[in-house]
Amino acid sequence: MEVIAILIPLALLLGLFFIGAFIWVTHKGQYDDLETPKLRMLLDEKPKRGKVHEQE
Amino acid sequence: MEICTHCDEQVEVAVFDDSDEASAGYPFCCQGCLTVYKVLQSNGFGEYYQIKSAGGILRKRAPIQLSRSHFTYLDDSSFLLEYTELNSNNQRLISFYLEGIHCLACLWLIEKLPEIAPDVLEAKLDMENSIVSLTLKAEGKLSQAAIALDRLGYRPHPLKKNQKAEELKKREERLQLLRIGVAAAGASNIMLYAVSIYGGAEGSYAAIFNLLTVLFAIPVLTFSAWPFYRTAWLSLRNKEMSIDVPISLALLCGGVMGVYGVVMGIHENYFDSLTALVFLLLLSRYFLKHIQDKGLAAQDLHFFYHNDSVQKSVDGAHECFTSIHPQFLEVGDVIQLNVEDFVPIDGVILRGDLRINMALLSGESEAKKCSVGDAVFAGTQVVQGTALVRVDKAAQDTRLGKILKSVEDGWSQKAPIVKVTQKISSYFLWTVCLLAVSLFIKLSLEGSLSHALEQMITLLIVTCPCALALATPLTFTRALGLAARHGIVVRNDAVIEKLSQVEKVYFDKTGTLTVGRPSVVSCEMLNKSWLPIHDVILSLEKNSKHPMAHALCEYAIAHKAKTLDVEDFEEISGRGVAGTIDGHRYSIHSYQIYEGSKVLASFSVCDSLREDAARVVASLSERGIQVGVISGDKASFAHDVAEQAGIPLTSVFSEVSPEEKNRMMQASQHVLMVGDGANDAMALTSADVGIAVCGSADISLRAADVYLLNPGLSSISELHMLSIETMRIIRRNLVLSLSYNAISVMAVFSGLITPLVAAIIMPLSSLTVLVSTLWGTKKQRSLWKS
Repeated sequence: MEVIAILIPLALLLGLFFIGAFIWVTHKGQYDDLETPKLRMLLDEKPKRGKVHEQE
Repeated sequence: MEICTHCDEQVEVAVFDDSDEASAGYPFCCQGCLTVYKVLQSNGFGEYYQIKSAGGILRKRAPIQLSRSHFTYLDDSSFLLEYTELNSNNQRLISFYLEGIHCLACLWLIEKLPEIAPDVLEAKLDMENSIVSLTLKAEGKLSQAAIALDRLGYRPHPLKKNQKAEELKKREERLQLLRIGVAAAGASNIMLYAVSIYGGAEGSYAAIFNLLTVLFAIPVLTFSAWPFYRTAWLSLRNKEMSIDVPISLALLCGGVMGVYGVVMGIHENYFDSLTALVFLLLLSRYFLKHIQDKGLAAQDLHFFYHNDSVQKSVDGAHECFTSIHPQFLEVGDVIQLNVEDFVPIDGVILRGDLRINMALLSGESEAKKCSVGDAVFAGTQVVQGTALVRVDKAAQDTRLGKILKSVEDGWSQKAPIVKVTQKISSYFLWTVCLLAVSLFIKLSLEGSLSHALEQMITLLIVTCPCALALATPLTFTRALGLAARHGIVVRNDAVIEKLSQVEKVYFDKTGTLTVGRPSVVSCEMLNKSWLPIHDVILSLEKNSKHPMAHALCEYAIAHKAKTLDVEDFEEISGRGVAGTIDGHRYSIHSYQIYEGSKVLASFSVCDSLREDAARVVASLSERGIQVGVISGDKASFAHDVAEQAGIPLTSVFSEVSPEEKNRMMQASQHVLMVGDGANDAMALTSADVGIAVCGSADISLRAADVYLLNPGLSSISELHMLSIETMRIIRRNLVLSLSYNAISVMAVFSGLITPLVAAIIMPLSSLTVLVSTLWGTKKQRSLWKS
């Protein structure tokens, strides 16, 4: 049971880290638009023709 | 029944265009959708249709109405100053609200805008609010971007920048999310330690675990639960009751109890149940607010009832004109009005004759003839002729402006209804307080005072009406979401509740019960013609801008007419059209079609009843609701329409002015008004519930509680049924959650309650109402299924 003395503070630190991260991204505007990004990622970006030629 | 290739609307008679290879064989609901289809194909955006079919449709959209606007006012310097801003890279930023955003492919297409409109550097679409934010070159033309959007079938409305309000709203939303996040983190951590305590942790472990739960509970009960305290305090100060009062009481009691436990060395508290409750409540309210904001967005827009530029005279002889946005017109200016223009001001005709459609302002279905010296009013539309008009009243001073103002005042004066939950929570609180006091007296007489106090606080905690507070917003969210998915935008949850109590329904006539524009109702063939008669009609009438011509074209297209070459076309204003086709002289006038002097056919045109009007009237009357007509039009027209729709003539009111309509609505209770024009706007506000049908004037949209996105009236009957069923679910949830509360009270009185028992009962009750909400009712499930 003594291991709890390490595990609990560790768990707390981990939890606090994620709460901090959550607060940070919320202020950054990550959650301002919840509908469009999930749809936008479904659309394939066609490579621009010029660039394809360069790679070849 | 066919489905439009572009807008996915079901149509009885589809429009086909086989002349073009790209569109051959595809059905369309209207010319607008067909045109947009061709535009997309010719620009190499045919992929739109693949993405649409693969991505699925998020919401229904209305068939496309092309505006053919030139949007020149967007390039005015005064407009740019007020509506746009420059960023640090010297790029111009502007937002437009777009009509018709409905699927994944829309997103794809809109964000491709820079490819069609070179001045646009970036286009970013917010699907949820249908708002596109454009970044343009500083000297780029906004009109070019707007025309491109319009041609793609999304009618743009410029949005005024209100930086401060936007910023405030955004901050509020982020704060709300933070509250939910903190509550989630707190509740889940507390659960970990609470379970250890229930599982038998002892001694110093129990003390540490208990201390940790208190530490985690503090931010949840202060920061996250703040909105509950605020609402409770506000409602108490206004001597009202809200469900937040008993919730706040329970939370505060729980907090006191927990801290007391730490001090006294009692290693048990109610934080696990309470924090989970805060999280769930915040979440359910967030969902409700989110879905209401979607409907509200349309109200916040600075939609202009005349969203196009007008020609203002700049010289004394009225020969030179400049394009200007109506907002910047002043009294004394002279403007030119052409066919299809919306009149932006109140004024007097100086030169020329006009035929004006007054339907939006007065409800009259027949176009009115106006000549020199006659007054014209803002909100009406020119259907024929050209004239110079002197501005007598502009913007807010026009009759329309005054109606708009009274609508906005009406909103602020509209008394909020006392909701079912509010009424219940008042009784609830008194009962709980009474029980708590009697428990305290009983226990203090029996034994120790501290035990009595402890039990009393416990009672206040476990009787928290959490299930009720949780289920109500979720039920409404579900109802609003269901409505939105079927093209009904509902302003808020109170509308649903009011709608379920409606006893009387009044329909406006022109544009609501009827289609609002003339259409061919019958065509009698009298003689055989050389060429197919429908081809003749289409070929001649497509050159005319008269509303009757539009009706005839639609009729001909529905009969799969083709266009033929016309020579010597002439249009005699106010009489008819004539032209030579294939060596034969054809003419159309006085409701008849001639070949030379031979009558080929006679037709009749009128503003016909909407297809589903009679069905909606019948289904509403079946439910015991009184249905009536209230119209600004002449009695004979109103009676005709009422008869066709199956409405008793005793409840038909005709030649009613907008102000009288308003008074009639104020005088009646539990009344629903359905309308479309500016003349209905005041009545829509003062009725208990106002519904604006698809194609309504912007001003009625602002006035209405409900807006139908799909043409037709049938959604009204379904929405009414939905509201009744929603209230039924809410009452059922009420009974369920109150019975759980009764069980907890009995447990407290018999001394059986412990935090563990509470941790079982409280989530269980929430779960029960949740299932009840999602399960719905049989009738609710059958809605929109047939």
